[in-house]
Amino acid sequence: MSSSRFTPRGFPRVPLQNGIGRYICQLKRVTLRFCKSSGSSRGIRDFIETDLVSFAQDHPGTALYLKPRRHKSPSFVAEYLNGEREVISCHNFTAQQMVKWLNLYTTRSGIPLMRYVKMWHTECPSIQGVWSPFTNKDPALNITQFPSEMLSRPVWEEKSATEELVEMINKQKISDENNDDIQKVQAAHV
Amino acid sequence: MLTLRTTNRVLKVLKTAQKCEQSFHRWLAPTLRELKRRKDIQGPEKPVHRKTFLEWNYDTEIYAFSKRLGEEFNNDLLQQALTERSYIIREEERQKNVGIEQPTLNLSDNKELVSKGSDFIDDIVKRYLRTVLPRLPEEGIIGIHKYLTSIETLSHVSFHIGTSELILCAEFPVEKPTLSNVLKSIIAALIESSGDSRAALFVRDFIITQIADKDLHQFWEPEEPIKLLSEILARDGIQSPEPRLIGCSGKNTILACFRVGLYTPDNKRMIGLGFGETVDIAHEMAARDSLRQLFGTLDNILLPFNLKLDQLCASSVKNLFLNEWSQKTLPFRPTHFELRQAKEISSN
Repeated sequence: MSSSRFTPRGFPRVPLQNGIGRYICQLKRVTLRFCKSSGSSRGIRDFIETDLVSFAQDHPGTALYLKPRRHKSPSFVAEYLNGEREVISCHNFTAQQMVKWLNLYTTRSGIPLMRYVKMWHTECPSIQGVWSPFTNKDPALNITQFPSEMLSRPVWEEKSATEELVEMINKQKISDENNDDIQKVQAAHV
Repeated sequence: MLTLRTTNRVLKVLKTAQKCEQSFHRWLAPTLRELKRRKDIQGPEKPVHRKTFLEWNYDTEIYAFSKRLGEEFNNDLLQQALTERSYIIREEERQKNVGIEQPTLNLSDNKELVSKGSDFIDDIVKRYLRTVLPRLPEEGIIGIHKYLTSIETLSHVSFHIGTSELILCAEFPVEKPTLSNVLKSIIAALIESSGDSRAALFVRDFIITQIADKDLHQFWEPEEPIKLLSEILARDGIQSPEPRLIGCSGKNTILACFRVGLYTPDNKRMIGLGFGETVDIAHEMAARDSLRQLFGTLDNILLPFNLKLDQLCASSVKNLFLNEWSQKTLPFRPTHFELRQAKEISSN
C-alpha cells in the first residue's frame, strides 16, 4: 500500500520547530491494552513485568496507562501532542518486540506516515541566490554592438577536408625546407 | 396431521443446516449495512473531551506535562495557571443546582498570572529582537513582536506543548484566546516557581523560535522605500543614490525582466540590486535591497537561538526609530558572536 494513491506524499517536517529551542518528546500518552490470561498477550505481560518501570522512568513526559481487558487481543494506543492517535496491534509480540515498537513510537513526531518525496527539506533551496538571466553574465556584453560578427559565428567550426589537406602540404613544405637547409649546412662543413 | 407438521419442521431444519454449511455468514453483510445506515442517520460524532475516557488521570497528565517541558513547576501554581474563570463559574452553578448553597471549590483562576506572563513575554521578546537585530528600526521590532505575541502564534505554541486537554474551562473545544492565555499564565507560574532566567529560556525555546524559518519582511516592510533610502542616506551626508539599468531581458514581452542597481554618486559603490518586470518595480526592489543591507535583515542571516537572559540588552534600550535612523548614530551593541565568545571565556 505504499503507492501514492493511498499514502499521502510530502517532505519531512517537524511540529513546533522541535529541536531548535529544546526537544520535546512528542508522544504524550500510551495506553497498553492486554488480557491477563490469554496467550497472545504473553509478550506484553512480560514487558509490563520487566521493562515497564524503566520505560516510564526514561520517559517521564509520557503518561502511561494499563488497561486489562478480558479475552481481547493486545494492542497499544499512542497519542501525540499534535492530536494524532495511533493503535498498534501487539498480537503474539514478545517483550523484546514491545520494547522496540514502543521505542519507535516514542521517537516519532506524530505526523502521519507519508511517502517522502525527498529525505530532506529546506525553505531556502539556494544559498548563493536564485539563478537569473544575468547570473555569471560576461560584463563585456554590456558594451558590445549588435549584430556582432564575432558572436554570430558558430561556436565550433570543423575544418573541411580541403583545408586539412592544404595544412598538411604546408607543413610538409616547411619540413622539406628545413631538411634542405640542414643538408646545405652539412655540405658546407665537409 | 401431527406427523405432517413434525416432518415439515424437520425438513426446515435440514434446509437451514444445509445453508449453514456455507463458508460465510449470509446475515453479516446486511447487518453491517443496516448498522451503517443507522449510524449515517445519526450524523457525525461530536468530539469528546479526553477526560471522559476511562484511562485518564489528571495528576499523571499534569506531572507528564511539566516533565515534558523539562521544567520544575510549583504544583499549585501550575494548577492555577490551567484554571480559567469560566470553569469556576460553571462548577459553582452546578453545585448550586444540586442544592449546595455556598459552593466551595478551592480553585483560583489564572487572571493575575495571565497579565503577569503577558508582560514578561512582551519584555523578553522585545529585548531578544533588539539584541539580535540591533540595526533594525524600532517599527520592525514592533512588527515582529506583534506577530510573535499574537493569539494565533501563542495558541499554536500552547496547543503543541499539550495544554488543550489540561485546561479547565467551560467551553469545548478550547478556543484560541483561552489557549494563548493559558500559555501566558504558565510562563508566569514558571517565573514564580523557577525564576526569571528559566522563564526567559522557556520564552526563547517555544515562542521566539517561531520566527526560525519565517521571512522577517512579511512582518514589517517600509512603505516608499526609495524615498526612505534617500532620506536615510541624506542623514549620513550621502547624496541620493543613482539608479542604473544594469541588465534587461525579454523587453516588450510578457516575461520582461529588468535589473536595476543603485550606486552612490560619490564613490560609485553599488548599494543595492533589484529585479522587476518593469524598471520602476526593479528600482523599488533595489531600494528595498539596500535598506535590508542597512538594517541587517538580508535573507541569509542566521538568528541565534542560544542567548540567555543575562546576554539580552536592557529593557530600557530601544532601537532607533525610522525618522532618526542613521548609520552614525547606531547604538553599539555586541554581536551574538561576541556574546557567545564571552560566554565561552567565562565558562572556561
